[in-house]
Parts: sequence; C-alpha cells; structure tokens
Amino acid sequence: MIKVGIPRALLYYQYYPMWKTFFEELGAEVVVSSPTTQTMLSSGSSRVVADTCLPVKIFLGHVLSLVENCDYIFIPAIRSVKRKAYNCSKFLGLPDMTRAVIPESPPILDIEIDINKGKRHLYQAIYGLGRRFTWNPFRVRRASLAAWHAHRKYRELMSGQGLTPPQAIARLAGEAEPEAPTSTQATIALIGHPYMLYDEHISHCLIHRLEEAHNKVLTPEMLTTEERESATARLVGKAHWTYEDEVVGAGGHYLESGADGVIGLMTFGCGPDSQMMDMVQRRAAGLRVTTFMSLTLDEHTTEGGVVTRLEAFLDMINRRKRRQIEVCV
Amino acid sequence: MRVGISHLGNISVMIKAWSQRLGGGLILPPPNSQRTLSLGVKYSPEGLCLPFKLTLGNLIEACELGADTLVITGGDGICRLGYYAKTQEKILRDLGYNFEIINLSLSQQRVWGLLKLSKRLSNNASWFRVISALRFGITKQIAVDKIERLVQKVRAVELVKGTANRLYAKAIEAIDNADDYNTLKKVQIDYTDQLNHVARDTQAKPPIVGIIGEFYVTLEPFANQNVESELGKLGVEVRRRTFISAWAKFSFFFNYLGLNEKSKIHKAARPYLKRDIGGDGWETVGEKVLHAREYDGLIHLAPFTCMPETVAQNIMPSTKENIPVLTILCDEQMNRTGMLTRLEAFVDLLKSKRRAGNNTQ
Repeated sequence: MIKVGIPRALLYYQYYPMWKTFFEELGAEVVVSSPTTQTMLSSGSSRVVADTCLPVKIFLGHVLSLVENCDYIFIPAIRSVKRKAYNCSKFLGLPDMTRAVIPESPPILDIEIDINKGKRHLYQAIYGLGRRFTWNPFRVRRASLAAWHAHRKYRELMSGQGLTPPQAIARLAGEAEPEAPTSTQATIALIGHPYMLYDEHISHCLIHRLEEAHNKVLTPEMLTTEERESATARLVGKAHWTYEDEVVGAGGHYLESGADGVIGLMTFGCGPDSQMMDMVQRRAAGLRVTTFMSLTLDEHTTEGGVVTRLEAFLDMINRRKRRQIEVCV
Repeated sequence: MRVGISHLGNISVMIKAWSQRLGGGLILPPPNSQRTLSLGVKYSPEGLCLPFKLTLGNLIEACELGADTLVITGGDGICRLGYYAKTQEKILRDLGYNFEIINLSLSQQRVWGLLKLSKRLSNNASWFRVISALRFGITKQIAVDKIERLVQKVRAVELVKGTANRLYAKAIEAIDNADDYNTLKKVQIDYTDQLNHVARDTQAKPPIVGIIGEFYVTLEPFANQNVESELGKLGVEVRRRTFISAWAKFSFFFNYLGLNEKSKIHKAARPYLKRDIGGDGWETVGEKVLHAREYDGLIHLAPFTCMPETVAQNIMPSTKENIPVLTILCDEQMNRTGMLTRLEAFVDLLKSKRRAGNNTQ
C-alpha cells in the first residue's frame, strides 16, 4: 500500500479530514507526523535561513520526521480558495521550498489550488493528484466528493458544536475525547491561525492553561463562516488574504460581543498578521469594551514569559469583572 | 488640490515633469531622511517591512506640508503591498490628518488607471495634455535611467572616486529643469559625454555584481544604504534589471501587446520554483539562475520579514547554477559599517576567486 505522509502543521488543522478521506478512498495509507517536539523545531530551523517564520520551520521539522516512513509527502500549494483573495507567499512556495531545503525527501505531491483560474483548473489539479493512485477518473471523482463531504462534516462539528480542530478530528476518528473542565471565571477568545493555537508546542499549551484557570475558551473555528466574514467586512472591507478572517473576522466578532478578553496570537515575522493583528488592535483601542492582548511568539519565547503575561491578563479581567459587580450592587 | 505622494528611487523626476505639464498642485515630500524613517517606524506596526515604513514616513511628511490628497500605489498581489493603502490610510487617519485617498492599483488598472487619475488631478485637462505630459515624464525617466546605467559602469573605474556620483546628481537636476524635448536631449548628450570622459583606469577589469531582490529596496538608495555607490567605491561594476523607466514601459505599454520582459526569467526559475509567489520572489530565483554565468557575484536585497524574498532566499542555495550570493536584509536597524564590512569581504572573495580562475587557466 502506498503511504502518503501529511505533516501535522500549517494547513493540517484546516483540511486534514478532507485530505485523509481523499487518499484513503484512493486506497492509500495516510501517515501523520506526531505532535510537535523541540527536536522537530530544531531540525526544521537548521535547514532554513533564520528569518523564516516559526510555523514554516516547524512544518519542515514535521516533513523531516516523515522522510523515512512514507512514499509520498503531500504538500499542496494553495494559492487561493476564494476569488480575489490570496494566500501568504510561504504557502505558495511551500512545495518548492521543501524540495530545495530537504533534498532527501520522498517525492512531493504538490497540487496548485487557485480558484481564480476557474473550476476547470481546479478539477484538473485534483485529477492530476488522483492519477498517481488510480487511472480511473470516476474513482477520483468519488474520492473527492467523499473528501468534500468529510470536510463539511468537520466544519459543522466545529462551528455547530463548538469543538476545536483537534477535538473534531478525534471525534471523526471515533476516539474518546477528554472531558472539558467546567468554566466559571471568564470567557476568553483566542484568535490566530489554527497552526498556532492548536500546536501545543508553539502556543505553550495556551488553551489548556486557560481552561485550567476555569475560563471558557472561544476560538475562530467556533464561529460560522458568515459570522467571520461579516465581521471582516466591517473591520477592513474586502479581505486580502484567505486565512485572515481567522484573525480579523474572529477578532472583530469577539471584540464586539461574546468575550471578556481577546488574546491575539501571532508569530514573529508573519507577513499578513503584522497588518491584520494591528487592525484588530486598533479596533480594540477604539471600542474600549473588551480587553485585548497580543502575544508574539518565536522559537525563543520562553514558557515563563508567556505564563506571566497570561496571569497578568487574567488578573486584569477578573478585577474588571469584580468592579463591574460592585458597581451593580 | 494638493497631492502628496511617496518617493521611490529617482521616480520624482517623472512625477515632477507630470505635475509641471499638468499644472496640478504637487507636494513632493522631502527626500528620504532619518526623520522620514523615524516617523514611519514610530507609527507603523513593528512587524511590517521597510518599504511600508518609509512610504508611510513620506506620506506623513507630505501631510505636514499640507497635502490634502494622497496617492498610494498598491497592487492586487499576494504580498503585503496589496494591503498597504488600507493600513496606511488607517494609521494616517488615526494621527488626525484629513485627506482624500487615491489607491492607484497599477497591477490592475495599468496605464488606463494612471491616465484617468492624471485627468482627475489636473482638473480635467484635455486628453491631449494628459497624454503628452505622461509621455514627457516617461521620456525624462528614460533619460535619467540611461545616465544611471552609465554611472554604474563609470563608478567602478573612475580614478577620482565620487566624480560619477557628482555628475549624476547634476544630471538629475539638469533633467529636472529641462522644459522641452530638445533641451532634454541636449542635457542627456552633454552628461553622457562628460561621463564618458571621466578620467579612468583603463587597465582595470572590474568584477561585475548583479543586484537582485525586492523592487523598492533595490531602487531606493536610502533603503539599501546606497549599496551601489559603495560597490562602485570598491571598484565593482553594478548591473541591475529593475529600473523605473523599464518597468513603466512594460507595465504601461508592452505588456498589453503580450510581451513580458520577465518570461525568460520565469522560465529559468521554473525548475526550482514553479509559480509566482508574489512580490519579486520568482524573479529573484530566476535571475540567479540566469546570471550565474555572466556575473561574478550577486547581491540579493530584501526587506526584513519580506515574505516572497524569504522563500526565494531559502530556494536559491539549491540551484545547480552556482554563483556567490550575498543577501542583505534591509530594515531600520541596518548599520552602515556592518554592511560595508560585509561588502568588502564579499568583493575580496570575488576578486580572489577570479585570480584563482586566471591562475588555473
């Protein structure tokens, strides 16, 4: 059986169920790299120039961990999934960059997704990918429809039932999920890209820490696409990058309603976020209702620093809530 | 109407000519200076790239001089440039300036957008005047760029260092003052002649270094700490593909006719990078492949945290075509001495490589 490797980084959190279904329908075995470790990060960073962003370094670390145990590695170049909205250069150059910096990697399945070029181009790209596994176009079609169905179900689990991507993936796979702790304190919204929020190594278990402190955590995936897009339109007008509604849309939405505090998580050197997080910050400064904190992470960020800032932030929110109660009384 | 615009290399020659002929009120901010940079850095989000910070500084200085209309060039591309206009507008409004914003997206509207804009800014001048003004501006730009190309060659071999730079500054001034095509032609011939007659070392065979990388930092001497002039002082001949006149010619006219000046570069890049990744990343890789044989070395200029150039920088070492590349990241922390040291070391390396090559032959 052909083994296809999928690195547990970057777009994994958005599309994993879709990709898994597609390859399994075509009779391949899907191998996913294990959760990020410090070794992966170091091996990934050793391959690229220093100012490459942290998620890409981690991605390369995952690829390196897969090199030995699969026949293909799946790295799509996703240019745009919405008309007139693009993706960061790093996603576009990802297959070529991986090939350049990891010459020992098994053949890379790269597929270019560009909605701007029309449906025909998309179908051709998908068929071109399927051709590696079967000659039968109908089988590719069946696999892609099943993949699409799995993706819809995945998104529904997240926006409908308020699950985070790792929880939703676990449920789709039929695994038991850990009991969510009861929340009594405050509602904290975390905004940022899924590959930051749910990678426990990058985010220093931020979600876990917030839940430990009895807070309810909201993430961008828990909003419907419409909610995010309408908030994006209110805040910045037309979105320029595809995955930025995770930051701007969710940030805008949670700042206006539904959260006591908003934490913006971004990596150092992230191009789109450097502008988008600023937009959210300006909005927060203008609204003056919801407390906002922006955390910029890189590979040097120590756990202690993050924890200290988080504690101060939570203290601030709790004090604010107490004062509001006192005023009411 | 008082129109403010930001600087880019020697583009002010072209813009001044347009505004002279069209009669619109132009507020050209003072040339890039430490103050421009400090203003830009102070009010920009910290993670943004140097071109954003410098152009924002320019716009703030234009607003201080009383500009009420700001022209911001953007694109519809993948890199952050596509979003400059919105962020800069927001920052300037938060600073309390009152202005009308014009987002000139050249990659989408091309020459038609520029023509319409000029007509609007010149209080509805006749089409004839608009077109003749644009033509005059572009002719001036071509003249300046021709002289600059010559200066790049002369700098390497002149006996008294700095002569070419002085002549270049004078030439820009003279071209700025030229009112019609005849004077312009005379000025151009005059300065070409003077540059050709600069006392030079006839024996020297200067190493040739190509400048590749991001559009803004390759063109703006303030952003790259005047790297070309410094290389000239070290006795190196500089070549560069990006010139404003060449860019204007192609994106305004020739691209309509289906000609693409970059297709050769893209073809060269394809084995290593298959697709456009925004900005100038694709061209950077392509130029490395293309120039590996012709040049002695390449200097790759990129703003710090530039998304496309980081990808290009990662891909470049893996190409089969081999040539020494020195990447210089430009940001507000860049220091002149550090850069000079790196340049000197790089040029020494090129020279010794050449000597070694001669000896083996």
